[in-house]
Amino acid sequence: MTDILRSERAAEELAAEHGAGDPFAAAIRATRMAMIVTDARQPDHPIIFANNAFLALTGYHRDEVIGRNCRFLQGPDTDPAAIEKLSAAVANGEDIAIDILNYRKDGSTFWNALYLSPVRGKDSEIVYFFGSQLNVSDKKRVEFELDDTRDRLEAAVAARTADLTQALQQKTALLHEVDHRVKNNLQLISSLLLLQNRRVTDPGVKNSLRGMLERVSAIATVHRRLFQSEDVERFDVSAFVRDLVSDMMGAARRDDIKVSLDLERIDIAASKAAPLALVISELFSNALRHAFPPESMGAAVDGRAGEILVRITRQDAEFRIEIADNGVGVENSASSGGFGLTIVQLLCQQLKARSETTPADPGTRVVVHLPVNGVHH
Amino acid sequence: MTERPLDVLIVEDEVLLATELEFLVEEVGCHAVGLAMSSDEAKALACDLRPDLALVDVHLRDGPTGVEVARTIHDDCGGVALFMTANVKRLPDDFAGACGVIGKPYSEHGVKTALTYLTVCLREGQAPGPPPVGLELAPAYAQRWGLPGLARATG
Repeated sequence: MTDILRSERAAEELAAEHGAGDPFAAAIRATRMAMIVTDARQPDHPIIFANNAFLALTGYHRDEVIGRNCRFLQGPDTDPAAIEKLSAAVANGEDIAIDILNYRKDGSTFWNALYLSPVRGKDSEIVYFFGSQLNVSDKKRVEFELDDTRDRLEAAVAARTADLTQALQQKTALLHEVDHRVKNNLQLISSLLLLQNRRVTDPGVKNSLRGMLERVSAIATVHRRLFQSEDVERFDVSAFVRDLVSDMMGAARRDDIKVSLDLERIDIAASKAAPLALVISELFSNALRHAFPPESMGAAVDGRAGEILVRITRQDAEFRIEIADNGVGVENSASSGGFGLTIVQLLCQQLKARSETTPADPGTRVVVHLPVNGVHH
Repeated sequence: MTERPLDVLIVEDEVLLATELEFLVEEVGCHAVGLAMSSDEAKALACDLRPDLALVDVHLRDGPTGVEVARTIHDDCGGVALFMTANVKRLPDDFAGACGVIGKPYSEHGVKTALTYLTVCLREGQAPGPPPVGLELAPAYAQRWGLPGLARATG
């Protein structure tokens, strides 16, 4: 008996079981879904039934498909991995749903959403495999287009990211370069002032140069601090005050004056750092130079040890920066209310800050009130 | 103590900074033995004059060659280098054999206290205490001078 004959015999058996009056058989024959049945008991599982929808989808005549294994639907571009999965499912007697590229009789291709499932007999032995085919070429095309679009978008994003990374690197390098130049130039300005200070003998000129040097140093300290921190947008005022006071006290060589610091950490915007630094530097310098005249050396005014207090606190919506001394007091000091105080007034105006000078009895207390809102972003 | 003053070589390509530094060095009782403005000059002077300490700017007349100068001073000239640079963050982790760094812009007082402090460290082989504000020590020297656990600080 030939294979074809055997398949026809099997087909007849199937047909006999599901005669003309069987509504399920009629439905399968007439449905628009392509369907086949293969004989699992014959070698190589030949097709023993194919409905009209299957023939219409694949372009074959019925007598061209009956008796053959359905692998004739595969072609050169069919994914070997998909074929592998299909064979494994059949060998294991499992059902499988898979999208696979199939070929029609005329050689054209279509994407087949194949569903294959074993049909078991009474003794649970696999008798048939039932296969249904759905042409999903349109869906696949959209999928491929989406993949393609996504790939192109990803490539575009990658290219843009590379551009931005490079731009950022350039910007960082430029920032370092500018920072370097600013610091070097500040150093140069300091050196110029120091060198000239060594040459002049007039105490008035020396005094002015000292004052300018202090101001430049305050700005220099701001710069050093700003670029030391990770966040170049914010400025830690208390850390600055510690550096400034240590430097000014060291340079003044007034071991007779004690400094107390009571500093709460406050951060201000970097753009306000230099003006505030100058205000603090000016006020501290004023206390240091004028509250304890050297003629009362030992800084003991009326028997008191000299002391300067710097206190920074946050109170509700404002920062409070207090610089107080127990020295001779404003009315007795040699402070001329000159250039230094003008600077303080002007910069407070710029910072929208308010400065109050009151007798501390003994000494002088200056408090600068700086609005938090004007400072925080 | 009647010890001889420390010999200090200045390696700096800004002549005004170098001149002012010379004054500062002398004012703290050290002896400024020379000034180099390029890496070649610096290496030659360092090996010739054998200074105790070399103040080394990173950017010299021939480019960012100060790091290489510090390494030569350490490896070949038996001296100790101290960086003075605006680019503290760009120094190698081992400080190229230098003992530390003073960040620019520095103050007159900052340099003087740093030099006084380092004079003690170099003479005694032991630090008199933690380094002053403005001076950052290299980890290897902090260890050598009895300041272990002095991590590389940012502030």
